[in-house]
Amino acid sequence: MEILAGLMQGFAVALQPANLLWCLVGVVLGTVVGIMPGLGPPATIAMLLPLTFLMNPAGAMIMLAGIYYGAKYGGSTTSILLNVPGESASVVTCLDGYQMARQGRAGAALGIAAIASFIAGTVGVLGLMLVAPPLAKVALSFSSPEYFALMALGLAMVVLLAGRSMVKALLAMLAGLWIAGIGTDLFSTTSRFTFGRMELLSGVDFVVVAIGVFAIAEVLANMEAREETRLLPVPKGLRNLLPTVQDLKDCRFAFANGSVVGFLIGVLPGAGSTIASFISYGLEKAVSRRRERFGTGVVEGVAAPEGVNNSETGGALVPLLTLGIPGSGTTAVLLAALVLWGFKPGPLFIPENPALFWGLVASMYIGNVMLLILNLPLVPAFAQVLRAPAFVLYPVILGISIVGVYSASGSLFDVALLAAFGLLGYVMRKLDYPAAPLILGLVLGGAMERALRQSLMMSEGSLSILVARPISAVMLSLALLILLIPLFTKVNAWRLRALDS
Amino acid sequence: MKEIAALAVMAFAGSFVEVAFAQGFQPTRPIEVVVHTGPGGGSDLLARAVALMVEKEKLLPVRMQVVNKTGGGAAVAAAYLAEKKGDPNTIGFFTGVWLTSPLTSAEARVSLKDLTPVVRLVLEPAVIAVKTDAPYKTLADFVAAARQHPGQLKQSGGSITSRDNVVRQLLQKHTGARWAFISFPGGGERMAALLGGHVNMMVIEPAEAGEHIRAGNIRVLAQVSDRRLSGFPDVPTLKEAGFDVPAVPQVRGVVAPPGIPKENVAYWEDVFLKLTRSNSWRKFLDDNQFEDGYQNAAELARFYDEFTDRMREILKDAGIKTVR
Amino acid sequence: MARKFGAADFYSGLVLAALATYIIVQARQWEYLGPDGPGPGFFPLWYGIAMAALSGVLVLSSAWREKSAERVEWQKIGRALAVWFALAVSVAALKPLGFVASFAALTFFIAAVMYRRPLALAAAVAAASAAAFYVLFPLALGVPLPAGVFGF
Repeated sequence: MEILAGLMQGFAVALQPANLLWCLVGVVLGTVVGIMPGLGPPATIAMLLPLTFLMNPAGAMIMLAGIYYGAKYGGSTTSILLNVPGESASVVTCLDGYQMARQGRAGAALGIAAIASFIAGTVGVLGLMLVAPPLAKVALSFSSPEYFALMALGLAMVVLLAGRSMVKALLAMLAGLWIAGIGTDLFSTTSRFTFGRMELLSGVDFVVVAIGVFAIAEVLANMEAREETRLLPVPKGLRNLLPTVQDLKDCRFAFANGSVVGFLIGVLPGAGSTIASFISYGLEKAVSRRRERFGTGVVEGVAAPEGVNNSETGGALVPLLTLGIPGSGTTAVLLAALVLWGFKPGPLFIPENPALFWGLVASMYIGNVMLLILNLPLVPAFAQVLRAPAFVLYPVILGISIVGVYSASGSLFDVALLAAFGLLGYVMRKLDYPAAPLILGLVLGGAMERALRQSLMMSEGSLSILVARPISAVMLSLALLILLIPLFTKVNAWRLRALDS
Repeated sequence: MKEIAALAVMAFAGSFVEVAFAQGFQPTRPIEVVVHTGPGGGSDLLARAVALMVEKEKLLPVRMQVVNKTGGGAAVAAAYLAEKKGDPNTIGFFTGVWLTSPLTSAEARVSLKDLTPVVRLVLEPAVIAVKTDAPYKTLADFVAAARQHPGQLKQSGGSITSRDNVVRQLLQKHTGARWAFISFPGGGERMAALLGGHVNMMVIEPAEAGEHIRAGNIRVLAQVSDRRLSGFPDVPTLKEAGFDVPAVPQVRGVVAPPGIPKENVAYWEDVFLKLTRSNSWRKFLDDNQFEDGYQNAAELARFYDEFTDRMREILKDAGIKTVR
Repeated sequence: MARKFGAADFYSGLVLAALATYIIVQARQWEYLGPDGPGPGFFPLWYGIAMAALSGVLVLSSAWREKSAERVEWQKIGRALAVWFALAVSVAALKPLGFVASFAALTFFIAAVMYRRPLALAAAVAAASAAAFYVLFPLALGVPLPAGVFGF
């Protein structure tokens, strides 16, 4: 009842014409910065902070949050069309989304991404509304050993991302761990693998590697053939540009998976949506009946990660609003905005500012509907991009990649690294090394090492801390189970062959 | 987005008129303000808040534009400023890490001493906090427990060169007790580790602590400050609690590229002095529980040396190799 | 020239083994276990060892795998490497020439040389896309791009 009353109050705030307008402005801006690689919500929100002083706090909060979750909608666009991850959380979307585009199903992929975003985004808000305070308490019981187990679970997904050779997938993952280790060690300030370059002191930005090995390598591989003047087929007719009923049916589990995994991992301040998207993709593949077709353009492979990164925003707002704890760059800027407006974010924020909290929640329901209405008609329009001839499109992809990397860090060194990783991605492809495990190792490596070392500090060196805590024990066993999957299938194959002969 | 930014500029456009200064130097282009953190980081937020206040108080004829040059602790931002040698329209916001990262990383070649000092702006005090259900009522309780179980109590904090660890090293040296320091990259994770009971103690910014105290989650044992903060009238300072160690503040201020004429430095000193006397500034300090740390360029240069010497000694005590 | 497929695994395995050796040698110089817990050498040592072991497996297995006679198409690889080289040159030119000029040059190269489009068409495409980037990013979105001697 209390929640219902709160929600009524919230809609009364969110439906005021001015706030509706700010919500629209926020989600439109969010979509735009999401589409542009490198241009992320934290920078956008920081740029708009001065403007928010002219607005009332509810409207400002509604708009800034709109940028935050709106960007997650836009992030899939370049991933699917150009194999350029628009946001870090959209890297996984490239795996199947771009393959769908290659088969002329770009429209279906974009459409399913928008629908998955809408469903999961709404579930995320539901979670924020219903279980925020109790869930925040649970999240606090999560500490380094649990994070280590979560990262190990993520890393185990490598067996699901492997191509023909498990050894090569594992090697690519280890190379990812190594790249993640470049930079200054947080615990001891030791410089590791920096080759004397100060630019490497804070490590290699994951976006640089992802855009390099996905987008640049893809362009290089496509440049091999001279004849191909058109990048990808685009079917005629509006109907062929949207997902089919069968697509929606195929995604039933992916919608639920993305919504739940994204929200739960989003609540943890030390995890993040990129990790969540890998885990939901792995989960989707593990339970799928057509496991072998993942990575060739299955629609669930788009729905799960795109759902995740939207429900994650709802989850990430839980520790921010209930405890004043930010888990990411974007939530840190939102926290700063609250302080600048004169609020005191912390455990008492929601009870003392119910109108603001409920207004925000209500506006997020409205914003997600706006985003769906906004994004679906854009799908056919975006799909037309692929009609451009190759000699126009390929340079544009290279240009967008450069701009994306440069605008994220302002560093020409990173642009040079981008070119280097583009070559690495091309060579890996030629030698049949899968790229996804490299990215996986890179995303998880740093957090995994930190969590392991923190855990061992907490236990004064005893590894038992990792298995003595129930949540971490469960996740580690799950990770082990996933690692054993290929072994079982191999044993099974041997057995069948033995029976045959 | 540009349009909206332009709107924001127009809203403040009135403020650009009627600004006149006696000095010879006047900025002609928008001021590029270099910070070493990404959007949402401490320096970034301070720089943006200052830009806002400078506009509100009409202290500059041009806009201030924050530029994030992240990487290498502060090495990339410092090197970028050094490259802008002689550029009158660029300044940077520094923190203590600009002085410490050249001490620990051979790759960080540009130190604050290679740049032109302008002013010191803010001192951020800190408080020492434990969870409410912890058995320690005073800092002495905590130290006694740490002495009884060497290495078993834990403190969550940032990097090992951060102020959190400096306070720990000083206290350990003073008392002979020993407890572990666990690094977390994000402030949120540090706080979550304390609230979840995974660590025993944390050195925390007063503004961040305030809300958790009000909600009854944490208790403050002592404040790392020379005099009691307005928000914590009943909490003893380190000295009052019986620990005669220097209250190391987190320091923030402004530098300029090398090769800047004296009159430019004087101009900036004047702008920031006016800023620190404004009402917006006082409210900003109050909201964040910061202390006014204004020092002019000459004092700041002396402060560099004191700070660097103290850091070098602390790092040595902590067993960390210094390269310079 | 016909290279055998197994050779790719063999040589890439050797390269990775070299990387693993480098990682292990470096990691051995850093503290493995400190007074408070594992040091900076702890994690790298273990993934270095894992990498060394797996690259060994790859090298050995490539030696007694059946050699496939799949031909390596050097002409295609040459095209891809030519484009990469052009990209590398234009990245190096970002600082002196700025984004707009070096991106236009890259576009022109790909259209005129790689795809053999008429020079006039290639030049038009190069100019148009460079202009579009300039209008979209610095002007409309306020995203700074590297500027060179021309001021853009």
